[in-house]
Amino acid sequence: MKPDIEAVIGQVSQAMAQSFAPQAANPYLGSQIFMSSMILGMAVEEADRAAHRRAEENRAIRGLFQRSAGLGLDGELAARVAELAAGEDSDLRVSALEAGNSVLRAALIDLHAAVEARADPAARALNAAIWAELALSTERRRFAGASF
Amino acid sequence: MADLTEDRIAGYIATRLPGATEVAVTALGRISGGASRETYRLKLRYRDAGGQTVERPLILRRDPPASLIDTERRIEFCAYKAFRGSAVPVPEMLWLEEDSDALDYPFFIAEELTGFESAPGGLLVEPYLSQREKLGLRKWTILGEISRADPTSLGLTGVMEPVAPGGCWRRELDYWEGVLDADEVEPQPIIRAAIRWLRANPPPPAQKISVVHGDYRTGNFLYDGAGEIHGVLDWEMAHLGDPLEDLGWGLNRIWCWGRDDLRGALLPRDDAIAIWERASGLAANRGALHWWELFNCVKGQGIWVSGAKAWMDGATRDPILVISAWRMMNSQDRAALELMGRL
Repeated sequence: MKPDIEAVIGQVSQAMAQSFAPQAANPYLGSQIFMSSMILGMAVEEADRAAHRRAEENRAIRGLFQRSAGLGLDGELAARVAELAAGEDSDLRVSALEAGNSVLRAALIDLHAAVEARADPAARALNAAIWAELALSTERRRFAGASF
Repeated sequence: MADLTEDRIAGYIATRLPGATEVAVTALGRISGGASRETYRLKLRYRDAGGQTVERPLILRRDPPASLIDTERRIEFCAYKAFRGSAVPVPEMLWLEEDSDALDYPFFIAEELTGFESAPGGLLVEPYLSQREKLGLRKWTILGEISRADPTSLGLTGVMEPVAPGGCWRRELDYWEGVLDADEVEPQPIIRAAIRWLRANPPPPAQKISVVHGDYRTGNFLYDGAGEIHGVLDWEMAHLGDPLEDLGWGLNRIWCWGRDDLRGALLPRDDAIAIWERASGLAANRGALHWWELFNCVKGQGIWVSGAKAWMDGATRDPILVISAWRMMNSQDRAALELMGRL
């Protein structure tokens, strides 16, 4: 589909920020237009990476779940993460990837809590891997204009 | 529900100014920046009992249908009044209306302090850029004054919920974890890990019970190009508690607007802490401060999550809530990771 979505939305965002917002007679309306242009700018950043970052993250979390297999976790948690580890993203629409991501991250919270309470080397190694993945997750979501 | 108009506001003010005649409101306009309340600027003009014409620029802050945070307007109003005339500069509060009869939602009216800047971005350009060190000195000195103040002498212990020195951390953490439980729109593995750590490693009791502003950060005070601060605003989350809570909030990485390590786009972290210690006469125990800094990541995420939920529920469509959900939630996660040594 041409022109590219990112180019179109980016142009609209730029026009709103540089042309429409400054010409708004009402300062409040002007600031609302400017903030809306910022949202579109972030949408441009997200549009291109949206499917990739979710698919990458879902794959990474399933990998962590697979690593937990030999840890002797509580039966219910072990079964839950084993089932999720065997899953895959067959539907690549962003909405489907996002829904799957939420299920995986909810289970990751429980796995993390279980693993960090243990001192054995395997659990500690998985704990470190979970933290590394969580740090990567913030890189995937980062916007260029963020303060940190 | 009728529109908020100049005539309606003038009609209300006339009831609060006995003896005044020709009460008129002009130049009513909404302004940005009040994510927790709708904020309006207006000009009041009337003839007083002595026949003199009085003109005042005013601010009206009205509860919205939904916002980032749920707060008690009376506490905010009383906090402003308590510090009026002290070393903590605040605008004069005029009228508080807790009923919805007059203007559809509760509101208060205050004087407007005009001619000053509040936007964090202003600090990144002249004439403010070269005043950042002086502004940082003033910012953390004023916070020290808030921390040093005696809540009882200020008359705030009858307004704000009491708390014991050993109970500050648990009350705040319980509250904000509850906000996350209620409003979480997607799983928060980083903040949940932070909460587990905070519960397992509680801080020492507060060295004193202070007034905690609750949102003391760059963006919530009025400054000028000479490096002076003229008004501390947005007291809607004010409460009694551990003064380190306020210090930790202002040091939060998410307020590093210059994308460097200057806290609040003003000063290095250690400089800010030293200034606060001198002004408050209190000690910033580093272990305790670390706890409160990490806690403030939980609190921040609670605020951003609530805003996201309000937008998703359709309670409000303010674009600032989308920006905070998309941008600030991730920055808040990164700030938490950094504090936990995991970034």
